[in-house]
Amino acid sequence: MDSLTIPATGRTPGVFFDFAGGHLRMTGESYPDDVAGFFGPVFDALRGFLDRPDGGAIRFDMELLYFNSSSAKALMNIFQMLETVARGGRPVTVTWCVEENDESMRELGEDFAEDLRHVVFQMRELPAGGAP
Amino acid sequence: MMLAQQYASIKRDLDERGIVFSFSGYLSEGILYSLGEALREKMALEEADGPTIRRVFSVFVEQMQNIIRYSAEKMSGNAGRAVELSAGMVTIGMEGGKVFIVCGNTVHNSEVPRLKQRLDHLKSLDRDAIKTYYREQLREEPDDGSRGATLGLIEIARRASDPIDYDFDAMDADRSFFCLKVRV
Repeated sequence: MDSLTIPATGRTPGVFFDFAGGHLRMTGESYPDDVAGFFGPVFDALRGFLDRPDGGAIRFDMELLYFNSSSAKALMNIFQMLETVARGGRPVTVTWCVEENDESMRELGEDFAEDLRHVVFQMRELPAGGAP
Repeated sequence: MMLAQQYASIKRDLDERGIVFSFSGYLSEGILYSLGEALREKMALEEADGPTIRRVFSVFVEQMQNIIRYSAEKMSGNAGRAVELSAGMVTIGMEGGKVFIVCGNTVHNSEVPRLKQRLDHLKSLDRDAIKTYYREQLREEPDDGSRGATLGLIEIARRASDPIDYDFDAMDADRSFFCLKVRV
């Protein structure tokens, strides 16, 4: 599989995983009524991609504006998968996007980044005015 | 008492408490979504900024999902597809310039001590300790039966501007009414 594309809905994120280019993106908001049902296929596709032996560099852009506590667990799972391949020598960069003045999301970024040792983590500020 | 008079008195009571949204009855994820949309639209019309709206919304979502998952008053069955409804109450209002969200639902008495212990623990923590606790729980496997409730309660405490308030009212030998008030 060379890509995984799931368009965003009101409560599930947009998932744009370009495996050929090593570019992963999540956008929108995440508070699915069935978290396991939504993230299960995302994890499966990602795991398949990360298991490939010929892996190049990976970029993950975390552009979610809001996620609930069950989605936080799922997101942490993705971070741990990325940290594992980074530890194995694959270059991984995570960009955590934050709307300006959104201190909660900035703080969450720090919480997620805390135990990353091999993934390169950066925070990027976006202008305000996305969906509320 | 006449019909309109009866209901006007209920409405007046809600108004006097500053309550602008109220729902009592069987809740579903669909209601969470729709009520959440209305809440955000109302706040946007009042020109609240994005981060403030999201803070309130976040508390709302976690509180609603707690009722949906843990209410002791549930109805389930098949109505063409599997349906599960959970009874509870949600009210959202304004008080002293702050938004408050109060949720209530029935719980089994056997669950009361554990829930109390969790909430008291959260109440005893300052901002930095809440942050540390969040970081720990984010990396924990959920404990049995909680389906991730701990992280949800921490998220609520974290977005709250004042310490959370909670209470139980014993209904009978098996059940109590649980209420949680959060100001944002």
